[in-house]
Amino acid sequence: MKKVITGNQAVAYGVILSRVDVISAYPITPQTTIVEELSELIASGRLNTRFLKVESEHSAMAALIGASTGGVRCFTATSSHGLAYMHEMLHWASGARLPIVMVNVNRALGAPWNIWSDQSDSLSQRDTGWIQLYCENNQEVLDTILQAYRIAETVKLPVMVVLDAFVLSHTSEVVEIPTMEEVDKFLPPFFLEYTIDTQEPVTFSVITTPEHFFEFRYKVQKAMEQVPGIANKVDDEFRSRFGRGYGAIERYGKEGAEVLLMTSGTVTSTSRTVIQKLVQKGYSVAGIKIKRFRPFPSEEIYEAIKGAKKLAVIDRNLSAGVGGIFAQELRASLYSREERPQVFGFISGLGGRDITPDLIEEAIHYTVEHPRPEEEILWLGLKK
Amino acid sequence: MKRMEIPLSENLGHGHLACAGCGAAIAMRLTLKALGEKIVMVFPASCWSIIPGSWPYSSFRITAIHAGFVTGGATASGVRAALDIRGDRETLVAVWAGDGGTFDIGLQSLSGAAERNEDFIYICNDNEGYMNTGTQRSSATPLFAWTTTTPVMQPKENPKKDIMAIMADHQIPYAATATIAYPEDLIRKMEKAKKTRGTRFIHLLSPCPPGWRIPSELSVKISRLAVRSRVFPLYEIENGNTYTLQEESHVVPVKDYLKLQGRFSHLTEKDVEETQKRVDDTWERLLRKARC
Amino acid sequence: MTKQFTFKSASEMPEISISRGHMDWNKTGAWRTQRPFYEDKTAPCNAACPVGSDIVGFIQKIAQGDFEGAWNLITEENPFPGICGRICFHPCESKCNRGSFDEPVAIHALERFVADLASTLPEKKEKFSAKKEEKIAIIGSGPAGMSCAYHLAKLHYNVTVFESLSLAGGMLWMGIPSYRLPRDVLDREISNIEALGVEIRTGVLIGEEIKIEKLKDYQAIFIATGAHRSRGVKISGEKGRGLFSGLDLLGRINLDGKVKIGERVAIIGGGNTAIDVARSVIRLGKKATILYRRSKEEMPAFKEEIAEALEEGVEIRYLVNPIRIQQKESLRRLECLRMKLGEKDESGRRKPVPIPNSNFFIKADSVVVAAGEEIETSFLPKRIGKREGIVLTQNDGRTGIEGIFAGGDLTSNQRTVAHAIGSGKKAAMAIDCYLKGNDSEDAIRKILVGNGPSISIFRYLHPGERPRNPHVVNYEELNMDYFEPARRERESKRRLKERIKRFTEVTSTLTESAALEEASRCFSCGTCNECENCYIFCPDASILKKGEKISQQVDYDFCKGCGICFVECPRRAISLEEEAR
Repeated sequence: MKKVITGNQAVAYGVILSRVDVISAYPITPQTTIVEELSELIASGRLNTRFLKVESEHSAMAALIGASTGGVRCFTATSSHGLAYMHEMLHWASGARLPIVMVNVNRALGAPWNIWSDQSDSLSQRDTGWIQLYCENNQEVLDTILQAYRIAETVKLPVMVVLDAFVLSHTSEVVEIPTMEEVDKFLPPFFLEYTIDTQEPVTFSVITTPEHFFEFRYKVQKAMEQVPGIANKVDDEFRSRFGRGYGAIERYGKEGAEVLLMTSGTVTSTSRTVIQKLVQKGYSVAGIKIKRFRPFPSEEIYEAIKGAKKLAVIDRNLSAGVGGIFAQELRASLYSREERPQVFGFISGLGGRDITPDLIEEAIHYTVEHPRPEEEILWLGLKK
Repeated sequence: MKRMEIPLSENLGHGHLACAGCGAAIAMRLTLKALGEKIVMVFPASCWSIIPGSWPYSSFRITAIHAGFVTGGATASGVRAALDIRGDRETLVAVWAGDGGTFDIGLQSLSGAAERNEDFIYICNDNEGYMNTGTQRSSATPLFAWTTTTPVMQPKENPKKDIMAIMADHQIPYAATATIAYPEDLIRKMEKAKKTRGTRFIHLLSPCPPGWRIPSELSVKISRLAVRSRVFPLYEIENGNTYTLQEESHVVPVKDYLKLQGRFSHLTEKDVEETQKRVDDTWERLLRKARC
Repeated sequence: MTKQFTFKSASEMPEISISRGHMDWNKTGAWRTQRPFYEDKTAPCNAACPVGSDIVGFIQKIAQGDFEGAWNLITEENPFPGICGRICFHPCESKCNRGSFDEPVAIHALERFVADLASTLPEKKEKFSAKKEEKIAIIGSGPAGMSCAYHLAKLHYNVTVFESLSLAGGMLWMGIPSYRLPRDVLDREISNIEALGVEIRTGVLIGEEIKIEKLKDYQAIFIATGAHRSRGVKISGEKGRGLFSGLDLLGRINLDGKVKIGERVAIIGGGNTAIDVARSVIRLGKKATILYRRSKEEMPAFKEEIAEALEEGVEIRYLVNPIRIQQKESLRRLECLRMKLGEKDESGRRKPVPIPNSNFFIKADSVVVAAGEEIETSFLPKRIGKREGIVLTQNDGRTGIEGIFAGGDLTSNQRTVAHAIGSGKKAAMAIDCYLKGNDSEDAIRKILVGNGPSISIFRYLHPGERPRNPHVVNYEELNMDYFEPARRERESKRRLKERIKRFTEVTSTLTESAALEEASRCFSCGTCNECENCYIFCPDASILKKGEKISQQVDYDFCKGCGICFVECPRRAISLEEEAR
């Protein structure tokens, strides 16, 4: 059934269809309409879910760790400072191998105070051991949530599904909403082998000495290494059931292009238009959409960039002291490769500044015209 | 003297790493006897992060979940929700937190859970300081006490936070103080809490030999003196307004309690007098509340 | 589960850090620098009891409701609990640690309760194993002699007791009025001893009918003839009519129920005999005045007895010494001097010094001298050592003559029933050693109660059982946190008007509920009574139980030596020693 819904509403649908048992969330702009929507649905009895209206985001994640250990499917949503607040618990959730799914609405981190679109919040959590999946449109948001539970429950790692503040969260688009029956066939009921059983009492997460801790961390990395294979299978199955698939990345534009533009989130949909226009004008340019950021899709990207000489990256984030994070991770993944195109790291749109088609075109032109970037960080649209 | 009736089950196995004479070990042993096997106990960071032992072992013979320092109330809320969804209303959810994880860093999640009247028993094992990290002050550290962050030249300058008053103001169904020297009282209160629904709070005083600078054999004696000197009176609060006191017939001056502890050895006469006055005032207030 | 897990590689490990193993393998006992252990110690009552009774033990049994067990425990050491419960000077109660808390336990009342209750139980026919060959003669059927007879009979010897008077019991019937010790109680406890096969031959005076040298049939002899010759007070006119010795008087009252005596009776002396005489005189309807040469504080009679005497109308005049009895026709009067107290004498008491020219007269129709007793020595073998009014013996009762032992008032100035019973028991043990060729001094050393001088014959017969550290537990070693003040149970007394009319017993036995209450007041010093504090408070669950009961075993694999069990044991039944490494 097609509906015109906002990104946040799409999240709510995703949660309902996934038959989530326990939700624990704390309101923060621009996530609020997610929890409002879910509260209504639960109160009206359409959703048989416990919603713990906790008093902070840190408690939200802690409650889900408790609930997930209890063997039920969990969900939370947050943004920006809320996500930063739960930072220590994000590490805990992945270390405890709990398949929690969280939606993060990308919003800038203060100071200064800012509520608009910016990827710095989710990306500053990139070391916490969570799988991170970025979405370009509201349909993808809903679909990614359904896939996220499959992936999480298979590999036993938590998943963060990311969408842009306001641009997606509060903007309506046409979304095809699958039926509960269809989703049930795709997403089986949750079962956690190592859950609470008072007949066989065990203790969870006791102190683990240097004797063993190393190996547990090794196992987390190994689990991450399984994600590409599992995610592909899940995506393939999703495609066959629902007719839609996303992959870890998506390459679009001219085949064998010399210049590639890497983007994520809604910037991608603007980029598609720009690149189409430039290709029609005769430019050898293509685009790569990054959907999966963690684990970083090195293999997929390398495959996709064969033949390119230059890679422009638009980062809607800043790791102060080093630059854009996507660019940084890209450079690292290319370092050991045979072919290493030039990477042009553009930073734009921080704090919700619009990344306009003109800006994107400017970035592409710059990349085309320069053999190498003149600076480590190329500030796009900055009032210098 | 009559023999005390104590349940026989041992749910805290020996071989654990608590210091010799640890008041909390006695408290945990008695508590687990009272609460039984059908339980999930969430324990945020405290001395109990170490005491049960390291992976793959644990001294607990019941289901226990080690949780982040801040998160006692929140994690337990999640566990309760999960068990409810699974259709299990019988298994008891309990939290065993230290004073740091209750009075200070854990106060937010406890308050949130209490305001929601989450259905669990929250036990604050109060040894009046951050003892696991080597005896730093917490807001549960009593006035004038020495700790490593309130050295003798500048001992604790503020009185102990009244956590029971805070919990009472959340209007939770049941809150009580208890301590190890009164095992029957402790067990009775645990059993009463077990039968109640909603947020139940037990404030449990556990002397700590290294942190209080007392010899290991005096843990129980000092716990008793805490009650007899009215520094730690035993009482219950139901629904935030009905107070029941368990009055001790042997009342002693606070001096008798303070003089046995190295952490108070630097106290002057004036300090002791002030402590006595505060204890007396608090007792008076408690009596008034009990009379209403 | 003591299994220890080892993981050689990550692939052997589970995905998540869930602990399934226990910590049993971690023997925290290695941490100890001191170790606790259960060790019964000696209670002060046990140490003070000249009989050597296991007081703390029998009170524990009473508290458990095991009255028959209490009786059996008492009679292991003492054949006369009904008697002792009534007339012993109870040094146990003076030393009772409860006295430092509120009031001492009424041990005598509990002992009496058990004895009186036991008399109502069906008699048990004791099966005797074959008796030994040896025969022992005992001269004197007082407490010392009968105690010796009792223990020797339990050792399966053949015992014959020779008693010069017509009734057995010695001082017990001669010198103690029946309102304090009823005849039927005495008879009962003596017949308990006879039931063991002891032969008592009354009306036989050794020295007259049978010379002591002629007792060669007997492999050993125990002389316990006591001290029952009244000491004179050396006043002129002493040997006249109307003058009685206190013991004679009491004996006659016990035998005949009455005696002819004047209206106003003056009694010279300050001990229990004087008081007994005075109170008996009251019961005969006469007036009694005690004349004592020292002050109230020095009076050796039991305080309760003095108090009761005064209640009953006995007059006591202190610092009075009679010097002459004047007889003028039918009127008799005592000329007396007032005394004052001077320096302390050998007995530790201040010496009475006459005040010159303080003479005055007291009217007295009869005068009774109750100023102490002396031993009779005429029948004794010449070689027996004597000095200062007693027969000399070794610690175990051996006289200088082989095979002849002595005890009781004959050999000691501590003239109490309890000491006599204790000495008879000790002699029985010494005789047993002698007949077996064993060293009795060595044997005694091994069976002392506390640091002595009383002995426990149970430990003589069962070495190694019921071990007790001789250390006597004092009040400071107990933990008063576990006790509430409680009133001492008092035996009810007859009303005063009733009492003085007749010689029936003044006090009555405690009821069962009173006895249970009183027994629960006992601290059980040094003896575990399974209060389970140790079990409750052990942080490491290292105090082991056997089913429901305390096993008195410490799990040394895990005990960290914190010492809490030691401090929280209310009765110091646990000891703490340095851990040897």
